[in-house]
Amino acid sequence: MNQTENENTFQPKPYSNPYLAGIGLGLVLLLSFVIMGRGLGASGAFSSAITAALDKLSPEHVKSNEFYSEYLGDGTKSPLKDWLVFEVIGVFAGGLLSGALAGRIKKGIEKGPRVSNSSRLLFAFIGGALMGFGAKLARGCTSGQALTGGALLNVGSWAFMMCVFAGAYAFAYFMRRQWQ
Amino acid sequence: MNAPFFKYGLFGDDFSLVVAFLIGIGFGFFLERAGFGSAKKLTAQFYFIDMSVFKVMFTAIVTAMLGLYYLGVLGLINLSLVYLTPTYLIPQILGGLILGIGFVIGGYCPGTSCVAVSTGKIDALVFLIGVVAGIFAFGEVFPLIKNFYYSSDMGQLTLPQLLNIPYGLIVFLVVLMAVGGFIGAEFVEKKMKK
Amino acid sequence: MKSFISKLNIKQKLAAVALLLGIIAIFAGNPYKDAYAKIDTKEIALIIQKELDHITAEELADWIIQGKSDYRLIDLRSEKEFEEYHIPTAENIQLTMLSDYTFLPAEKIILYSEGGIHSAQAWFLLVAKGYRNAYMLKGGLEEWKDKILFPTISQNPSPDEVKHFEKIKEVSKYFGGSPQTGKEENVTIKQTLPKLEMPKQVTPQVGTQKKKKKEGC
Repeated sequence: MNQTENENTFQPKPYSNPYLAGIGLGLVLLLSFVIMGRGLGASGAFSSAITAALDKLSPEHVKSNEFYSEYLGDGTKSPLKDWLVFEVIGVFAGGLLSGALAGRIKKGIEKGPRVSNSSRLLFAFIGGALMGFGAKLARGCTSGQALTGGALLNVGSWAFMMCVFAGAYAFAYFMRRQWQ
Repeated sequence: MNAPFFKYGLFGDDFSLVVAFLIGIGFGFFLERAGFGSAKKLTAQFYFIDMSVFKVMFTAIVTAMLGLYYLGVLGLINLSLVYLTPTYLIPQILGGLILGIGFVIGGYCPGTSCVAVSTGKIDALVFLIGVVAGIFAFGEVFPLIKNFYYSSDMGQLTLPQLLNIPYGLIVFLVVLMAVGGFIGAEFVEKKMKK
Repeated sequence: MKSFISKLNIKQKLAAVALLLGIIAIFAGNPYKDAYAKIDTKEIALIIQKELDHITAEELADWIIQGKSDYRLIDLRSEKEFEEYHIPTAENIQLTMLSDYTFLPAEKIILYSEGGIHSAQAWFLLVAKGYRNAYMLKGGLEEWKDKILFPTISQNPSPDEVKHFEKIKEVSKYFGGSPQTGKEENVTIKQTLPKLEMPKQVTPQVGTQKKKKKEGC
C-alpha cells in the first residue's frame, strides 16, 4: 500500500490486526492437523538438538537416561532428522520472511527504559532456563501444549494454559521495571 | 478425503520433513505478523497494556478447533489419528506455572524467541541459550524427578470426556468464552490508554 | 438486515461468524468416529471374490527372505502355541485384543491362525474398522507347514514341478524345514518343527516392536 512512503522514512510497518494474525496461525495449525495428524511445537526441537549433541559427546550417558533416549528414537537415524527440528527451522525462516517484508529486522535488545542491557540479558537467560525446564515438565510449551492441545480440547493443555497465564500475571509485578 | 494424510500413508517420513519446514514457515510468519518477535509487545499482556497475546492465541485456538470440529463431523478427518498429548495433571500444572514465570522474566516463549532471533533481537538469542540450558538441566535431573513426571496420569483425555458434555457444546462454550474474553480485552486496552 | 451487517467492523463480523459456527456445533454431533463401523458389504464381497484378501505361504516366505519390513505379521493363536512355533517376524495378538488394537491406516497387516477360520474372522473385523490393507495367510499355519516347512512332491512330477520343488527346497531349508522328496524312505521322517531361532538373519530386522519417537514437544 504505502510501500514508497515506508521506504523513504524507514518506518517499519505496523503489526497485523491480532485477530487476523490469529486466524492465520489457526489455519496453519489446522493444516498441520490435516496433513500430519499432529500439531505445532517448538521446545521439542531443542530437546532433539541437545540429545544429538550429547549423543556425540557421551553416547552411554544418553542411552542410560530415559529422557534423552526418548528423543533418540530407535537409533537408526540422527535425532536431528526430526519433524519438530525441521518445523522450527521453518519458524526461523518464516519470521525472517515476515520481518523482512515489513522492514522490522533490526539488531538490538528489547527492554524497558529502566533496565541495563546486561541485566536484561541475564534475565533473558534465567527466563529461558525456567521456560525450558517448565516446558519439559509440562510435556510442551506454549505452541505444543497451549495452542495445539487447546484446539484439541486436551484436558492437560487447558490446565497448563491457565497456569501459564496465572504464573505470568502473579510474577509480573516483580518484573515491571524490566518492561515498563 | 483421508486425513490426516501422513497417517494414511500419502507420503513418507522424508517428505514429512519438507512439510514440517513449510508449516514452520507459516507458523513463524504469522507469529512475526502478530508482533510476537518483540518481548515488549509480548509482556505488555501481563500489564494489561496490549492484550495481543491473548487475542492471537485464542483466535488461533478457536479457528483450529472449529476447523477440526467441522472436518471431523463431515468425516473428512479421522480425529482419533490426530496425536493427543496424554495428560499428567500435576506436573503440567507446575510446568505451566514455571513457564509462566519464565515468560514474564525472559520475555519470550520458545516459539516466539525463534522469530525474535530472526528479526535480530540479541536478548532472544540469549533467551534461547537459556532454554537449551533449562532443557539440559531437566534432562540431567530427570532420573530424580521421574516419579513426579509420571504422576497423576490421566491418559489421553479431552474436556468433553472429562466433563461428560457433548463435544459440540464444549466447542460452543470455548467460542463464547473467547469472544467474551476479546470484548473484555478491548475494554481493558481502552481503559489503560486513558 | 444488510445495512446492519455492513455497519459491523471486521472484529464484530469475525466474532459473529465464530459464534454462529459455535452455535451450530451444539447440534452437529461428535467429530470422533464411533465404535459402530459402517461397512460396504458389496466392496468387501468384491475383494473376496477377486482374491485380493489373502497372500500365499510362498509369497510370505519370499518377503521374509528378502527382509521386507513394510508389513506386520500377526499370529492370532494362543500365547502357548505362539511360543512353540511361529512364522519368523510374527507378533502375537489374539482375536479379542485385536478389536482394541490400533494399527496405522497404511500398514499392511497379514493375519494367520492354525487353519483359515480365525484369520478370516479377524480379517473381517479389521476391514470393518476401516483397515483396507489387511490380508490373510492362505490356509493358515497348516498350509505354511505343508508348503514351506515340509513340502512334498508328487510321485510322477513333471519337469516344471521338479524345478519348482528345487526352489522350494531352498526356501524350506532357510526356514529350518525338512522337504519331503516323496520317496518312500522319506515319508516316515518325523516332521519336527524348526527351532524358533531359525533363521537368525531375519529376527533382528523386524518382529520386535519398532520404538516410535514421540509426537509431542
